[in-house]
Amino acid sequence: MDVVIQIIASGLTLGAMYAVATVGLSLVYGSLNMLNMAHGALLTLGGYMCYAAITHLGFHPVLGLAAAALVCALAGLAIYVFATLPLLRAENFETNIFIATIGIGAVIESLMLKSFGPYPIPQPLAVSGSVVIGNVHIPLQNIMILLTALVAMTAVALLLQKTRAGRAIRATSMSRDAAQLMGVRVGQIYAQVLALSGGLAAISGVMISSIATLTPVMGGDPMLKAFIICIVAGLGNVYGAVLAAIVLGLLEAATQYVLGVRWSFATLLLLVILVLIWRPYGLFGRQQVVRL
Amino acid sequence: MAEPILQLKGVKSGYAGRLVLQGADFVAGKGELTAVIGPNGHGKSTLLKTISGIVRVSEGEISLKGKRLDTLRPDQVVAEGVIHVPQGDLLFPGMTIYENLMMGAYLTREAGSVAERLERVFTLLPKLKDRRNQVAGTLSGGERRMCGIGRGLMAGGELLMLDEPSLGLAPIVIDQIYEVIFDLRHAGLSILLVEENAERIMDQADSIHLLDNGRFAWTGKGAELMARPEIVEAYLGA
Repeated sequence: MDVVIQIIASGLTLGAMYAVATVGLSLVYGSLNMLNMAHGALLTLGGYMCYAAITHLGFHPVLGLAAAALVCALAGLAIYVFATLPLLRAENFETNIFIATIGIGAVIESLMLKSFGPYPIPQPLAVSGSVVIGNVHIPLQNIMILLTALVAMTAVALLLQKTRAGRAIRATSMSRDAAQLMGVRVGQIYAQVLALSGGLAAISGVMISSIATLTPVMGGDPMLKAFIICIVAGLGNVYGAVLAAIVLGLLEAATQYVLGVRWSFATLLLLVILVLIWRPYGLFGRQQVVRL
Repeated sequence: MAEPILQLKGVKSGYAGRLVLQGADFVAGKGELTAVIGPNGHGKSTLLKTISGIVRVSEGEISLKGKRLDTLRPDQVVAEGVIHVPQGDLLFPGMTIYENLMMGAYLTREAGSVAERLERVFTLLPKLKDRRNQVAGTLSGGERRMCGIGRGLMAGGELLMLDEPSLGLAPIVIDQIYEVIFDLRHAGLSILLVEENAERIMDQADSIHLLDNGRFAWTGKGAELMARPEIVEAYLGA
């Protein structure tokens, strides 16, 4: 029983972090058909910015998180202005932006390496202590991560479902042409989505670095997992991505316990292959067919 | 003819490397039902996409009541009051009918006029009211067409452009759709209608324009078209 509680607790924490990382990626793919390979670097940037704001500028931890989110939102906006916008005018956008964002990611990671050095740094945004359920100690840090993710996801859901801007984002991701014919200025939507995705990446980066540590390459692993989650859920399906993130987080925690840490990533990949054989468009993905 | 609402002068446009409209000249009158007919693949849909700004004009001029449209973005064209209901509806499949209709009124900020238009759309198309919470992806062809037209009406535009509203529908449903279109025209809305199926509109349209290979080959009234069986036969195969 204790083992089960332990697995659920750490699985939910992992899932929550993955969910926040994945939603941004999924939103961007859904509305722009853009695989943002710089997403992992934005995560890293967020982690370091929070650290720098708290340690060097003396910000309150909550403000540090907000500052990190703001910086990454601006970075997302910069990606839109300097990479997405020019490439959208040319052909083969999807391939070009894929390569371009790999480059942008490398630049951001190198900047972090140059500014903060290669050695792991602990994330100052951390709470100590734990709660005890049964015989299991669950760190307050995990609970804080879960709550932060919950707040972030609720905010995104409300934005998408209840606001005019959110409705325009959903409309654009369902049909860009139709959204334009409704008077939606799609350029603006793209900019908003990339900024939002950057902000979410920062939150996720801060959470991940608070239980691991800050390193310039810390974004790679969560980004890879976020991609896997996106594909399992069906690319561009935001709500599916949240669900898939939580399930995969729980699965990862379970495999780590049952088979050992080294098997967790292999199991994840195996699962993806199986899912894609069974449903090529992902669990919640749908090939969009227009009936006439 | 009534005063012109929409005017095209020598418009050329097309897709990467292929010119579809090759110098189209055209006038649609205010408060009239203007029909564009012609065989498949001769630029009817491209004409509407060019007017709405989705396809860029490479040469020529488009103006709405004297104001240039061809330099505007699609969202600005909508703001000018030109509403394009595209072929195959292009509804937002994951949204409910209600949400689709609300997207139609995206540029209208005053809640009062949105509510008023919604009421009008529901009166005109009562089926949409019954199914307002149904997701658009699950609708039948006729319901989707109605939702597409209703969504267009929600914008409260001055010129409604409809791309083949009868496409793929059963004859009885086509009749219902056209009844709605003719009602709108009698209520004073300017309508630009693209249709392959010329007979349906011959006696109702104020003017008919035949689009052939990216140019207008013939313009006249429905009765005049019926008096020219050779045109009907050559272009429309009827």
